[in-house]
Amino acid sequence: MHEIQQRLISCFSAVFPELTTVEIVSATPDGTDNWDSLSRVTLLAVVQEEFEIEFDADCMASDISFEDILARVTEAVRNRIPSSLSARSHDIG
Amino acid sequence: MKLRDALDLLRHVPADAEPVVIYLACGFTPLHFKALLAAEIWQVSHKKAEIHSGLYGDLLGSLQTAGESGADFVVCLAEWSDLDPRLGLRSLGGWSPALFPDIVGTTGRRILELQRSIENVSASVPVALSTPTLPLPPVSFTSKEQAGTLDLELRACVAALAASVARLPNVRVLNASYLERQSIAGVRLDAKSELLTGFPYSLPHAAAMATMFARLMSDLPQKKGLITDLDDTLWRGIVGEVGVGNISWTLESRAQIHGLYQQLLVALAEAGVLLAVASRNDQKVVDAAFARPDLILSKDKLFPIEVGWEPKSRSVARILHAWNISADSVVFVDDCAMELAEVAAAHPAIQCHRFPTHDYQSAYDLFERLRDCFGKGILLDEDRLRASSLRRNAGPTDSQPLLNGDNFLASAKPEFIAKYCDAMVDPRALELINKTNQFNFNGKRHTLASLSRRLQNPGGFIMVVSYKDKYGPLGKIATLCGTRLDDTVHIDTWVMSCRAFSRRIEYWCLEELFSHFAVNCISFDFEPTERNSPLQLFFTNVLGLPPFRGCKVARNDFLTRFPRPPQIQLESAHA
Repeated sequence: MHEIQQRLISCFSAVFPELTTVEIVSATPDGTDNWDSLSRVTLLAVVQEEFEIEFDADCMASDISFEDILARVTEAVRNRIPSSLSARSHDIG
Repeated sequence: MKLRDALDLLRHVPADAEPVVIYLACGFTPLHFKALLAAEIWQVSHKKAEIHSGLYGDLLGSLQTAGESGADFVVCLAEWSDLDPRLGLRSLGGWSPALFPDIVGTTGRRILELQRSIENVSASVPVALSTPTLPLPPVSFTSKEQAGTLDLELRACVAALAASVARLPNVRVLNASYLERQSIAGVRLDAKSELLTGFPYSLPHAAAMATMFARLMSDLPQKKGLITDLDDTLWRGIVGEVGVGNISWTLESRAQIHGLYQQLLVALAEAGVLLAVASRNDQKVVDAAFARPDLILSKDKLFPIEVGWEPKSRSVARILHAWNISADSVVFVDDCAMELAEVAAAHPAIQCHRFPTHDYQSAYDLFERLRDCFGKGILLDEDRLRASSLRRNAGPTDSQPLLNGDNFLASAKPEFIAKYCDAMVDPRALELINKTNQFNFNGKRHTLASLSRRLQNPGGFIMVVSYKDKYGPLGKIATLCGTRLDDTVHIDTWVMSCRAFSRRIEYWCLEELFSHFAVNCISFDFEPTERNSPLQLFFTNVLGLPPFRGCKVARNDFLTRFPRPPQIQLESAHA
């Protein structure tokens, strides 16, 4: 959890360099300057790339906070199918 | 490069870094590609990129705007949906087979318009173009293993466009074959991103494209010369041991890799690369080997040929002196690791490559690296002349210094021709400015766009000097850029090829300026650099003291002190 949070803070920091760490962990779209539709798309792309996960279309289109993103990333990382299982299911299919 | 790394990198670009303005012409929302491209440009060229783009869905309109934007470069990303929206994911225009002829027809017309736009824009701004990199959507009714006629016809249209515009002097087309190595075709499209945001590239694909475009636009100095070993490099076998008749480079003798190397060197020589030999060998044996008529690389393409038993670093030093270029412009190829290390220790800036005699795949990889080291956008007449003029220079300068002998110079029947660019910038002028170091006035580089703007300024001019004498032509060897204001010509760029030294061409350049513009004074935006000492010497001679920024030369004083022998004619013309 802690490691995921640190990496997510780094992602936020890349997109919102003016925010401090304390500000990042409480960041919301409404409460953050420059958090517009463009920066949201950039932020989610950076996060997807960093954690090698895919957000669904609803997530991409909605305004979600640092806390929301952290929860989604944590869940996605936890539920990620191990690559060996993925390969086996592909073979069976 | 990852997007996060790109964003981090861009935060640390100094505010006062040299700027470069890029106009991104594409039909989609460029989103992350802008950040990735800016970061790659910073990494490759240390320039701070300011990237502008046009309206969504209007590639042709963007191109038109790009031409008037004052940008230094135009990056044009054409995708299938720009050629016909039905070939993109954001249109529902239909994929019915009955529509195929119309899709092909629309694409053909759009390609013609695109070609015309690129021709127009590239007249004033260099254009880097990528033809569609994304997969065609599943329009065709064939199975995925079978190529559909629609696919083939569309790809033929695009290939024709690429081949046509690649011939234009200011257009560079992204190499699709190389892109295939950098970005796997199956994972280039990000359908979710395309549908939700209008940006169709996956991040790895966008990153690969950004890397290639940054390199495509950069005018980083390429290598100028290659020094090669002979035994087990240019040919298989040690000629002093096996004899001239038993060295080989053919398929039958399992030495084809050496034949391919010779073939590559011939091609490099014909593209203007200087070739020389450094070999620890007996001169007579080497002469006999070069007398073999079946050798692919003939002796006349090599200069100098340094053969002897000294350490190779000394041979290399003599070659560098004969070429009058520095070690960082040169590649050294040898099969022996010890020889490579000895040369690298004496000439740390030289790029050393081991020739892998018995590892064919590594040898092939080396050929590709060598091609890349000497890669250039276009071939000019001067590329063909370079090696032969160096060889000619070596003769008289050894025994008879030209600088001290106006009579000798006059007997060479020199022809000095100055041409002034009217509207189009001569590509050779740009090449000279961006690759010359020793006779470079202030080290400043230019882009095609900045030179084009200069011609539009009141009083602005670009002069390109050609030279030939009875020993042969040197081609276009000097460029001067400046502005005429009242009774003064102000020069801010002056470069001259090192092949043209010792002919007093620099003196005639000044005389030509006094004569052509009928002014009484020339001022100079001179700056000393680490490598422009030859030019500093010239100015010290003219001024009587070391040059400085803003130094001036008066007409009467100059013409009195440096009279031109009457036998030497200057010719001036507009391009």
